[in-house]
This record gives sequence, C-alpha cells and structure tokens, in this order.
Amino acid sequence: MSKSIMDWVDARLPVTALIKSQATEYPTPKNLNYWWVFGSLALFCLIVMLLTGLFLAMHYKADANQAFDVVEHIMRDVNYGWLLRYMHANGATFFFITVYVHILRGMYYGSYRAPREILWWFGIIIFFLLMATAFMGYVLPWGQMSYWGAAVITNLMSAIPVVGEELVIWIWGGFAVGDPTLNRFFALHFLLPFVIFGVVIIHLWALHAVHSNNPDGIDLDEHKDTIPFHPYITIKDLFAMGVFLLVYCAFVFFIPNFFLEPDNYIPANPMQTPAHIVPEWYFLPFYAILRSIDFLGSFSKLAGVIAMIAAIAILFILPFLDRSPVRSFRYRPLSRQLFWIFVIDCFLLGWVGYNPADATRFNGALPLIVVGRTCTAIYFGYFILLWIITAFDIEKPQPVPKSL
Amino acid sequence: MDFMKFLKTVALAAAVVLPQPALASGGPALPTQSWGFHGIFGQFDQAALKRGARVAVEVCMACHSIKYIKFDALKQFGFSEAEVIALAEAQSHNKKDRMTSPMDPVAAKDTFGVLPPDLSLITKARKGYEDYTYAVLTGYLTDADRALVQKVMEDGVLSEGELKELSSALGVDAHQPDKVKEILTRIQANENFNKYFPGHFLAMPQPINDGSVTYPDGVESSLKQMSQDVVTFLAWAAEPTLMERKALGLKVMLYLVILTVMFYAVKRRIWAKVH
Repeated sequence: MSKSIMDWVDARLPVTALIKSQATEYPTPKNLNYWWVFGSLALFCLIVMLLTGLFLAMHYKADANQAFDVVEHIMRDVNYGWLLRYMHANGATFFFITVYVHILRGMYYGSYRAPREILWWFGIIIFFLLMATAFMGYVLPWGQMSYWGAAVITNLMSAIPVVGEELVIWIWGGFAVGDPTLNRFFALHFLLPFVIFGVVIIHLWALHAVHSNNPDGIDLDEHKDTIPFHPYITIKDLFAMGVFLLVYCAFVFFIPNFFLEPDNYIPANPMQTPAHIVPEWYFLPFYAILRSIDFLGSFSKLAGVIAMIAAIAILFILPFLDRSPVRSFRYRPLSRQLFWIFVIDCFLLGWVGYNPADATRFNGALPLIVVGRTCTAIYFGYFILLWIITAFDIEKPQPVPKSL
Repeated sequence: MDFMKFLKTVALAAAVVLPQPALASGGPALPTQSWGFHGIFGQFDQAALKRGARVAVEVCMACHSIKYIKFDALKQFGFSEAEVIALAEAQSHNKKDRMTSPMDPVAAKDTFGVLPPDLSLITKARKGYEDYTYAVLTGYLTDADRALVQKVMEDGVLSEGELKELSSALGVDAHQPDKVKEILTRIQANENFNKYFPGHFLAMPQPINDGSVTYPDGVESSLKQMSQDVVTFLAWAAEPTLMERKALGLKVMLYLVILTVMFYAVKRRIWAKVH
C-alpha cells in the first residue's frame, strides 16, 4: 500500500530518488573526524533559533515603550517563556561557537580550495547574514546595551563619504535610534533567518555537487574511500548533537546569563550612556579591529569600518591566496603554525575588544590599543603570509597519501 | 616542547581564560557571600524570602518600585492571604496591585536628583550581581569609620597610619592621598559615601540600619542579616522562575546524558564495520 503510494508520488516528483542520492546513500569520506560535525550542529542551531524565535515573536511587541516590559512578561508570565528566551539568547552564542569552529575547520583542512570555492563563498555570505541578524536581534530587548550598541554600530555608517550622514538617518527612521529603528529591526530580524535558510540550501547544494573535503585534503576514490551518509554520518552527528545539547542546556538551565551583559537588564535610556559599551562576544574581535585603526586622523573611522569589513571579506579571496599544492594543513608544517597563531590572535582581539578603548596593562606601560593594532596586523598578516609561503614555495609540504 | 604543541596549548588556555563572566570593574573587590540559591541544586530559602520581602516592602519601597511583582505573588513563599493584604495596605495598595512605591516620581527627582531605579531586576542588572547589591547595602560608613573621618577632619592632618586605615575603610588606593582627602571633604559635606558604589557617592542615604525592621520569626534584624534577606528576595523578584528552571534543567540533563550515551553506543556499533 505505502509502496504503491510512494510509486505514484515518485512518478510525479522523484522524492525517493532524491533522498537516496542526497541523503541516505550520499557518499561521505570515511575518514572525517569530529571537527566535521559542526556543520550539522550549525544547522541544528538555526532550526532551534527559528523555532524559539517564532514563538517569542508571538509574544513580543516591537514598541520602544513596551519592548523591555514585554520581554520580562515573556520571562515571567508566558508558560515556559523563560525557557524560550534563554534558549534563544544562548542559542545565538552557541550558533556562533559552532559557526566559528566550522569556519576554522574549513581553514585548517583547506576546505576552501578548488573545487569548493563557491561552497566556501556561500558560507561567508551566511556568516555575514548571521552577524546582521544577531546584531538586530540583540536590539529587540531594548535594554541599555541594545540601545547603545545599536547607536554605536549604526553610527559607523556615517563614516561613508558624502551619503553617510543621510544614510544613518534613513536607517534610524529619525534623528536618533528610536521606535522606528526598533520596528524595522524586528521586521528584518524576522526576515533574515529565512534568507539564511535559503542560502544554507545553496550551501548544501554546492556541497553535494563537489562532496565533502576530508582531513587529508585529498581527492577520494568514490567506491573505496567513502561510506553512505546514513547510517554512518547520521548517527555520528546525532551523538555530537547530544554532547552539544549537554553543554548548551547546562548554560540555558544553570548559567543562562553568563554571556549576557548586566546592563541589558536596564531599560534603554537615550539620556544616559553606559560607562562602557561592549558588543556581544562574537563581535569582539572585529570590534577590536575597528577600534585599532585610530591613527589616521579624520579618516580613522572610515578606515576602521573598512578594516572591520575587510577582516571577513578577505575570506572570499582565501581560495586564491593559498597556492599550496596540498589542501590540508595536516601536511603543511608552516601553514599549521600560522593557523594556530591566527587562532590565538583572534582570542586576543576578542579580549582587547572587551576592554575599554583606553585601557592599559602593567601600570600604563602597555596600552591595549597597541595590542589591538599588533593583533590586527597579525590577523591580516596570516592571509598575506599564507600567500607568501605558498606562492613562493617557501613551505615544503610533507608527503600526502594517495588514498585512504 | 615543540612549537605546535605550545601554540595549541596557548589557544586552549585563551579559550578557557579569556571569556570570564562580567566582574565588577574598578573599585575595591566585592566581598562574596554564599547564596543558597546559586549552583545546580540551589534553592531559595523560604524563610529568608519572607524576611526579605518584609524589608523590601517596609524599607526599599519607600522610594523604589518592584513593578514586575504583584503583592499577591508573595503567597508563593508562605505569606498568608491576611499577611499579603496587610503588607499591600500598608503601602496603600490592593493585593492585586504591582509593588510600586507610593513616592511620586517627580517628588523623588526633586528630593534625590535622580529617579530611584525599579528594583525588579537589580540583582541581574549590575556587574557582581547579588554580591554587588549586598555590598552596596552594607558598604556605607560604619560608626568606627565615621569617628576616624571626624578625627582626621578636626586635626586637619592625615598621618601615614590614618591614611592606611582610611584607604582600606573607604576602598581607595593608599597611594592616592589626594583622592582620600577629596572623599573626606565630601563626607563632611554630608554626601552619601559608599565603598562599593562606582564613584563612591550616591543619592541614596544608608537605607538599612540595625533593627530597621522587626522580624516576626525572631531572627535578629542586623544590617547584615537584613541585607542578606532582602537581596535574596530581590534575586527572587528578578527571576521568580529560577527554581522551576533548575528543576527542569536537572531532568533535561539526565535525559540528555542517557540519550547521548545511547547514541555513542549505537555509533560504536555501526562504525565497527568501517574501522
């Protein structure tokens, strides 16, 4: 019975064939390590965010006079509203953790190299969209950090020559961040996740066209070196999801405010600037890069914005900067060292971004702005050095296995 | 140790050390209290909540609101209907009303220069959380501190020993005698000094003194006891769903542990064929 129904459907829409070729029997490298689970974890996060966000939206009011109160109403009066909100707020943090690991995994194993450039590019587009969505979502609770974070970041647009000032007013819908800003940010925060979902599908399409890279970074023999996605990868991803959920739920249920700034539990007050405005942790490295360009006089602001955007946009040309004959850093001793310096550098940038711009260490002997500039130089230096050591054959890769 | 291992270790250390939670920045370190409702199994002490609610209503609410809580909700931790009605009526409120202060905001602004903030979220809205609120309540000058300040101001001399003593009492760096002197002058001008409030001076005079409230349960109403109780109450007011959250959390974690172990066992079984 069910078979004949499926035959009827398949004759009109080949569902079974699609599931077979793209899911159950889709060939995956059999040597994938656990760093490869973060892609599906990120997808899981997206679904968690979409669902919790949908139900939050049913109770939320995008009104500058009501937004703060209504979030507390959700926390206190809505059945399991506290759970929805804490899952959503911490979900953003865990979404970024998975995405950052996913990106770094791609960078380490050369997953951006031919023939996976388009797959990589759509990943970066997702990352950009994610940052925009997270930024606008953070504004919605309308606390002090929401308000002043929005003010600081939207103000950056004013650095754009000629149209900057007008543009900022247009984005605000007024002469300051206010009710119209909150309304449009809510609309966009609801829309963008679906755009992300669409780009994720393209990302997956691109993946399935070229298939997964693997820790050795070599082209695999389709028959000898691959295993079907189901049950091998499905069960592995499920196990990873279990571990991920354990950590995520530990935060949601036991330290839900760990990643939230206390200031955001103070209602937005346009008349009172917080002592120290900090963005969410996942923006901190880029915020540090923005602030580290302060030595160009009146061009500093624009240059800072360009540097901040370039810090992510440079990933687009990474496939062409890396000229090594070998994809995986497993067989590239110099690249490997550069990579780990890059990772440490990102953490340092985050730490600099968290501190006030004029902070110093060692009794004023070490202004953090100097650390920030150095780390910014190292950040971009990674990409330049990677190009130099590969384009001029400075790095001698180790022998790579022909097959698994 | 080879360079690679070193780099990986540093990266791991950075991942652990750098994302520290929001701690109080600047000023003296907050004294940390042990809060029974912290931790995975932490619970609100019902008796402390009752005492704290009394302090909040009789002392804090003279100026501050706790607007996200209705008087009625106090029944959740053991107040009787009659007690709730009595507490509400003392503030000229109905038991269904939100816990707002009878003080007129305009009058408050005239008297204090600032609007007294709503306290519903105060323990979540400051770096240091409950410890900060407790520190501010107990961070006013003690009688001994006052006597010392008085003595120094009368002498007009700040000896090395007095500077040391004052700097620890006021929470100011002993290497900044000018700052200490400035603070002394402002204390003398009857400004409200607090050791832990950022900037040290605030509009609120010391709200709680020994014996401000009489506890019906016979517990001695010392400054420390009342501060502990009222902060416990305010922590509840900031998140009345805390116990529900942790209780559900324990069940969820237990379920996830079992689920994950099962996934792992099945994964091992399935992958045994591949290796």
